[in-house]
Amino acid sequence: MLEAINLKKTFGDYDALKGLDLKVNPGDIYCLLGANGAGKTTTINLFLNFIHPTAGKAEVCGIDVTEQPLETKKLLAYIPEQVMLYGNLTALENLRYFAQLGGHDYTETEYKSFLDRCGLQSGAYIQRVHQFSKGMRQKVGVAIALAKQAKALLLDEPTSGLDPKASNEFSALLIQLKGDDASILMATHDLFRAKETGTRIGIMREGRMMQELGTDDVSHADIERIYLEHMHGDSSKYAA
Amino acid sequence: MLKLIISHETRQIMRTGALWSILILLIGAIIFASWSGGRSIERQVEGAEAAVTFENGLRDHMRKDTEKYAAQVEAEGGEYKFATVRHAPGSGPPQGTNAGAVGAETSKYVTLPPTGLAALSVGQSDIQLNYLPISLATTLDVTKNLELENPVNLATGSFDIAFVVIFLLPIFILAMSYDLLSSEKERGTLAMILAHPISVRELMASKIISRAAVMLAVVLGFGLIALITVGTGLGTADTWMRFALWILATLLYLAFWFALAVLVNVYGKNSASNGTVLAGIWLILVVITPQLVSMLATTIYPTPSRMELTIAAREAQTEAEKNFMSKLDEYYYDHLEFVPEGDEKAMDFLTLAQANNNSIEKAVRPLYDNFQNQLNKQEALVQRFQYLSPAIMMQLALNEVSGTSADRYEYFLSQVYVFHEEWKEYFSTKFLQRYPLKPADYGSFPEFHYQEQPFGLVIARLVPSLLGMLILFLGVMLVPFLALRNYQVASR
Repeated sequence: MLEAINLKKTFGDYDALKGLDLKVNPGDIYCLLGANGAGKTTTINLFLNFIHPTAGKAEVCGIDVTEQPLETKKLLAYIPEQVMLYGNLTALENLRYFAQLGGHDYTETEYKSFLDRCGLQSGAYIQRVHQFSKGMRQKVGVAIALAKQAKALLLDEPTSGLDPKASNEFSALLIQLKGDDASILMATHDLFRAKETGTRIGIMREGRMMQELGTDDVSHADIERIYLEHMHGDSSKYAA
Repeated sequence: MLKLIISHETRQIMRTGALWSILILLIGAIIFASWSGGRSIERQVEGAEAAVTFENGLRDHMRKDTEKYAAQVEAEGGEYKFATVRHAPGSGPPQGTNAGAVGAETSKYVTLPPTGLAALSVGQSDIQLNYLPISLATTLDVTKNLELENPVNLATGSFDIAFVVIFLLPIFILAMSYDLLSSEKERGTLAMILAHPISVRELMASKIISRAAVMLAVVLGFGLIALITVGTGLGTADTWMRFALWILATLLYLAFWFALAVLVNVYGKNSASNGTVLAGIWLILVVITPQLVSMLATTIYPTPSRMELTIAAREAQTEAEKNFMSKLDEYYYDHLEFVPEGDEKAMDFLTLAQANNNSIEKAVRPLYDNFQNQLNKQEALVQRFQYLSPAIMMQLALNEVSGTSADRYEYFLSQVYVFHEEWKEYFSTKFLQRYPLKPADYGSFPEFHYQEQPFGLVIARLVPSLLGMLILFLGVMLVPFLALRNYQVASR
């Protein structure tokens, strides 16, 4: 479970996050929507303890991330917008290294099966990854997350720049991961994908949560309409 | 966890082609430096041996003459006499019976033996002759062989292992470490790693340990190879104790450069700017600061030039001669062969020459003492300012360990001065007594045996440099170590 409690973050005199409350339950795929600068990435970085909150706290499975960062990182997996790997290592070597960093070790066959589940062609397993396309790297990224057997997943615009087919494959993978009872938090710009894969949607603007929706309760058109209203409207009238 | 990252980092290092090229260059430099250092010391030893052999040959020749003469006296009967200056070669007592002639015309070469590590840090040994002629002549002979130059300035001149350690190893370390953290950041892998249960400190420590292991292998491995190939006295404890200190100094020096790379990575921006900053610091610490300290030393405490010393000595000589000689005496003094037969004046002149030498020595001694004083002050200033740059500390430490320091040389010189007095005492006494040297006397001439500095003294002189490097390292390390506690991976 992922939980943000009145989470605030200030960079200098800029308020990036103005008191966020958020809860992602096991089995949920929570999609954070919002324009650039809405605070989506800041939220994810706070959960990862990459930056320290100005006020409030972020918890992973009930553990405060600033108090026990190494404990919470055992429970987390992270897929950034660009999965970056060691170019001079092969896909398998990268996967093994990151899995071992997460405290796991598997057999060669198991590593291959992770890559296989993520849809990477078997010919690419022993290729050095410096020539991989973004789609291929994202697949290795998911394999790393799978191998980590994480309780919570943080994804920061993982499908941006992927072609529709790759993006679709990625969504299918996410649904697989959710099946393992993980709590998934994903920042995205893709309204369509959010409705298709997400279970819940949160719309953010200027460091605030404007509205939360269940994806089953609304149509694609509704999501787009509500989103645009928030983006164009006066933000103060929705402020909590 | 550390082990995992260390092995990963080692694999990364091994797969970086550029590092291999640098490593190969470095190994090449070490091999060349070993050869060059070894050659330099070998030349010194050969030179000393040649000089000793030559002078011993001269004395041997004289001894044989006296043996022949002794046999002749034995056969023909008569008195074993002392050769006057106007002796006729082939008849009468040979020159070898005259203690003044033996003491003045042959020299005893005294040598400073190189330590086992001398080839690793040639230091100042190539400018300070390790063998000096001792004769009845003045101490001029002792010091005229010294290069009148600032030692620190010249110390950087030779391409030996010390040069490789001081100049090149930091470059290698910086090439491996300038982008420790920045490259991970730029590649985007830093976020990937730190999403795992590992702290930035652990990551940094692993990176340093893996790189330090490579350096350690190079330094220990090639240091040992260099010692075995060009070092001497491998069977003695002294050599190995010196080698252990040599390694210790090197490790402290290298640790400083690693710490510096960490510091710059924690506070720096991108790899390119880190590289530039580190290269700049290298230039300042290794090249510019030692030069400035050297310039400061020679400017504040200038030494008289060799020309000045020579002119002063000549003046003293002229002055001394003027005081006690008539024009005719002066002529005879210069041309002993024209002194009328049977005139004892020739012997008087030789005595005079002795006295003359002594007075010249007295006159020029203050000049040399002043010269030596200035050198000592320069040395003291460098010692005091060494803390400005780890390169100076390291050079002083390595010279000390290798026995090529100015200090050990002075220790040697002080013994040489004592021996010189002993030599003069022996020959001038016998000469003034007109004692004819017999073949057996040749075995009882004074001998010089260099007494090595006590090892405790070497260590005591090393402590300031080693301690300085340790404190510098800890200081530079502490800052990033504390800062990394609150390191923020992402910024806005």
